[in-house]
Amino acid sequence: MIVTKTAMSRRTVLRGLGATIALPLLDAMIPALTATANTPAKAARRLGVVYHPNGVIYQNWLPKGVGRAFELSPILAPLEPFRTQLIVVTGLACQPAQALGDGGGDHSRASGSYLTGVHVKKSDSVVGNGISMDQIAAKAFERDTQLSSLQLTADENSLVGACDVGYSCAYSSTLSWLTPTLPLMAENNPRVVFERLFGSTDSTDPQVRAFRLRQDRSLLDSVTDRVRQLQRKLGPVDNTKVNDYLGSLRDVERRIQKAEAQSATEVPDVDRPAGIPEGFDAHVKLLYDLQLLAYQSDLTRVITFMYGREQTGRPYPQIGIPDPHHQLSHHQGDPAKLEKCTRIQTYHVTLFAGYLEKLRSTPDGDGSLLDHMIVLYGAGLSNSDRHSHGPLPTLVLGGGAGTIAGGRHLVYPDDTPLANLHVTLLDRLGVPVERLGDSTGRFNELSEL
Amino acid sequence: MSVIQTLMACVGIAWIGATGFEASQVVQASAPPRASVQAPAASESAPSTPARELVARYCVTCHNERLKTANLLLDQADAREVFRSAETWEKVIVKLRARAMPPPGRPRPDNATYDAVAGWLETEIDRAAAARPNPGRPADLHRLNRTEYANAVRDLLGVEIDGTALLPPDEQAYGFDTNAHALSVSPPLLDRYLTAAARIARFAMGDPTLRPEFERYTAVKNNSNERTWLWQTERLGEEFPLGSRGGIAARHYFPVDGEYLFKVRLDRTWEGVIRGLNVPNEIEIRVDGRRVWQFTIGGGFGFDGLKGPDSRVSLYDADEVLQVRVPIKAGLRQVVVTVVKSDAVKPEGLGPARMPIWSLRYDSANAQLIVSSLLIGGPYNGRLPQDSPSRRRIFVCHPASVNEETACATKILATLARRAYRRPTTTEDIETLLDFYKKGRAGGDFDTGVRAALERLLVSPDFLFRIEVDPDHVPPGTAYRLSDVELASRLSFFLWSSIPDEELLDLAIDGKLRDAKLLDQQVRRMLSDPRARAALVDNFFGQWLQVRNVWLLTPDTNRKYPWFDDNLRTAFVRETELFLDAQLKEDRSIVELLDAKDTFLNEQLARHYGIPNVYGSHFRRVTLADENRWGLLGKASVLSVASYPHRTSPTIRGKWLLENVLGAPVPPPPPDVNTTLENQTARATSVREMLEAHRKNPVCASCHARMDPIGFSLENFDAIGQWRTTDAGTAINASGVLLDGTTVEGPAALRRALVAQKGQFVKSVTEKLLMFAVGRQIDYYDAPAIRAIVRAAAADDYRWSSTILALVKSAPFQMRRSGS
Repeated sequence: MIVTKTAMSRRTVLRGLGATIALPLLDAMIPALTATANTPAKAARRLGVVYHPNGVIYQNWLPKGVGRAFELSPILAPLEPFRTQLIVVTGLACQPAQALGDGGGDHSRASGSYLTGVHVKKSDSVVGNGISMDQIAAKAFERDTQLSSLQLTADENSLVGACDVGYSCAYSSTLSWLTPTLPLMAENNPRVVFERLFGSTDSTDPQVRAFRLRQDRSLLDSVTDRVRQLQRKLGPVDNTKVNDYLGSLRDVERRIQKAEAQSATEVPDVDRPAGIPEGFDAHVKLLYDLQLLAYQSDLTRVITFMYGREQTGRPYPQIGIPDPHHQLSHHQGDPAKLEKCTRIQTYHVTLFAGYLEKLRSTPDGDGSLLDHMIVLYGAGLSNSDRHSHGPLPTLVLGGGAGTIAGGRHLVYPDDTPLANLHVTLLDRLGVPVERLGDSTGRFNELSEL
Repeated sequence: MSVIQTLMACVGIAWIGATGFEASQVVQASAPPRASVQAPAASESAPSTPARELVARYCVTCHNERLKTANLLLDQADAREVFRSAETWEKVIVKLRARAMPPPGRPRPDNATYDAVAGWLETEIDRAAAARPNPGRPADLHRLNRTEYANAVRDLLGVEIDGTALLPPDEQAYGFDTNAHALSVSPPLLDRYLTAAARIARFAMGDPTLRPEFERYTAVKNNSNERTWLWQTERLGEEFPLGSRGGIAARHYFPVDGEYLFKVRLDRTWEGVIRGLNVPNEIEIRVDGRRVWQFTIGGGFGFDGLKGPDSRVSLYDADEVLQVRVPIKAGLRQVVVTVVKSDAVKPEGLGPARMPIWSLRYDSANAQLIVSSLLIGGPYNGRLPQDSPSRRRIFVCHPASVNEETACATKILATLARRAYRRPTTTEDIETLLDFYKKGRAGGDFDTGVRAALERLLVSPDFLFRIEVDPDHVPPGTAYRLSDVELASRLSFFLWSSIPDEELLDLAIDGKLRDAKLLDQQVRRMLSDPRARAALVDNFFGQWLQVRNVWLLTPDTNRKYPWFDDNLRTAFVRETELFLDAQLKEDRSIVELLDAKDTFLNEQLARHYGIPNVYGSHFRRVTLADENRWGLLGKASVLSVASYPHRTSPTIRGKWLLENVLGAPVPPPPPDVNTTLENQTARATSVREMLEAHRKNPVCASCHARMDPIGFSLENFDAIGQWRTTDAGTAINASGVLLDGTTVEGPAALRRALVAQKGQFVKSVTEKLLMFAVGRQIDYYDAPAIRAIVRAAAADDYRWSSTILALVKSAPFQMRRSGS
């Protein structure tokens, strides 16, 4: 066997080639990584957002009972082991995602507004949104980590034309907006994600890596000089792009400085993923592993992840569903379609539970990664058949370093802004903002016992 | 008058031209009406003009200052010096030429009047534009998209890379990823540029210290589906050896001389059992056509049942043995893994059965063996290649001694920088690169130095961006001619999606592109280069016709189209590519996109189309006897991307035709309209019945009355482009109505009607082509140039070369407006 590492067992090889490349991340490598165990006593706060497309079958999502005495629904059943660190938040809506005079395009608006609480600009060319909640957190945390944030997707990431009537694909393909006009496109290739985390050099030798970082920094300095020169030459007319360019250069420079400062950090001695593994299941697991790795190595503290873009037509033959998802989600009450959608959503939650399990078993300071994290899980559509933007399926997981008290089902009045939750979560992350999008208040209940 | 009443009276409230969106953004709907004396058109003393007469009679009832229908205020427009209101009149021209206004049921001018008034308006506006052209202003900084980046790297260094694996996806605007405004700059992108530069530099130089890494190739490229539904019963294409069936063909770049690992994975049932091991299968790997490995797997002891693993072999992992290390020299190579046909004498041509490929029978372990992926890893024992295509390109000199090194490095870097930056280099350019060379050289050898400088070059904004700067002497807001080097880049990115070659760049730097004859010659030379066809077919047509979306199709294989498999999907794309390639190569008329009698088919696609006597997997030119299949409107790719997974959409097809063929784009649905059709019908009905019910709603009808009737004429083609005569038990009624009220029966009649208005079609294609070429939105002020291009092309039967030449000579392509 050539492609594997020493730590790999025969059994892992049997699990298929896709997994062979992926598995060092899962099993062999992670115990070796203990960087975060050395971090100061005060645990770092981290944010994860997991988004699933095409809404939910709400009656199979909604738990029975409220407060502490609640019973998990069929879709949420896989989360039973995490019950004490789970809050189901019911009654939220994203009103800015409504048409408000813009006609069709609910799918695009659902994901577009999800973290911004802003009614996005209807356009398939010049985009307009707000700054997303994850980017507000990312800005605050960026001085501590190499990457301010990561955006991942398990979907195709290049599409042609508008993804929905009159809406740019950006709205349905990412949740993260660095500025109102700059969406951060989500990456689907695990190899690219790996390279962003660990750099382009394939060496684990600290000296080689340090040399690479110095090289990158001098490249950036030199390019920055040239861009400034161009800025003077171009004059003030079309400066947005130049400013984005300079801002981006600064951001990358900061990452490199940070990497130099952390050069003692162990680098996993693994082969890079070969690309996108075969099958959704392996792909999602690998993307979750990379998220775990990113948090664990403290390379970033903010990650958004989409199972798929809104309106995705992905079939799920591996769980016996060869029908395109979006079509199924327009179920018109057909029991067979409702059952299939439910199965897809349960499958998503099951994969998510596998990720939570790893977060929980990864030590971090005085507890586990999950103890200190906040993970928001949900969607910007409720009943996808009717394109309703409330009541949204929403979960909060993790302890938020003692700021979140799980084990509850919180029910708010219908149409309470989802942005209220975002504002509250930002509070818990230590990044208070006055308001976000259409927010009208905060949820003190998240930490009340 | 309530909103709905207005809407009904003036059907098409939002029915305005392609540029109407901006207009509706700035007009304040609540503004009080101004006194009508301010409107020039209302002035008693104004002399009559054809335009004024026409709008007074047919248009101003709705399009006036009071009703503001579609924010088109024709009573306000200057009908004498029409160029002063060109933005408004261009919208009118679009409607007149397409016969899109007045709405059905309202009094209409006769055809002669339509054309006479449109012609008068065009002449007036074009005359003013000729005197004072407005060439538009593409962005100063125009980032290369990832296709262009990969092509530029290929043409600069001879290194083939997969742009989609190295760089984040690009945004699009107005349907094209060449739009400068959509191509943003973000931190992840710059991060990736650094990574890509380091990687490409190592590949190009051939760095023997590269650690082994792996690349996976699958049988269907761009496959976004969970599984590959690809039959591997026949030879899959020209890359595959004769007598083979199925497999994978990969173009792989080998960075250094060394050993590389090939590892073949076989397809499995959903339970994870490898299919087809019950019989022996001969698998072979070829590199550039030469067989490097052969292995027989399956059959006999240990493979003879589903009873599970025995002591010797496991049906779950028997393909672990399918790996081999092979010594390979650096460079781009074609690697093919395939299965040798067990019965080579059986002729190709019986084709796969019409059985759903995902059916349970197929999922049995005894089904045919299928190659699911090829993994290429390496290098092992890598050696610095003494000679490789990329080293040959980089090392224009070799230093004989240390003393010669700096001079040679300077020469190498100056040569590369000139092509990479696509302009004469400055001292500063070279000094910057030499700095990096020197630092690299200090820590390593000559190669290390060159590699460091190459990295700097590849992250330079001068490489990554097309930069167009207003010359100092040009006053703000003025049209000026681009410099020759700027024009050379526009040309090469338009025609090749890449950087200029030496010849074009030399001429540009010598200032010779101003010579019309030389420019003509260059354009023809570039068009005859295969790169032009590849770029135009993949990038222009691929986006315009959305052929790329064929890879994302998810037809309802469950009930409706169980025989739709990835072979058919691939054939849809292949037919369209070959068709378009031939159109360009043979320099046909643009109109032939609509009415070409010939196309390219293999057996499966021919069967799909109901065409007999085409056997085998090979694509060949076929003359279509059935005129319903002629041109793009008979192509499964075009028909299927404008359909839903389970049914056709006359609306989407109609909208597509209006926008792309008739030059009369449709506005988006009006506010607060439920665009989901299914919810409104209780029982199974034909698509026509559903849509007709839907059009009873006047709000829906305002737009659908235009889109659906045109789309209906294609109803004989189902959602995956097959001919049909019934839909949901009802006989197909393919009777359609054009904007001018003409009735057409079926696809052939539609096509004839469209060809009769070929000017509209050529105009639409030209508009898209110009948008692709200049990388910005097309605006009203581009209309004179578009008309001029169409006129010039008309003289030569709208041939591609004439159209492209006229486009290259047009103001929007050759000129730019300075910033204001």
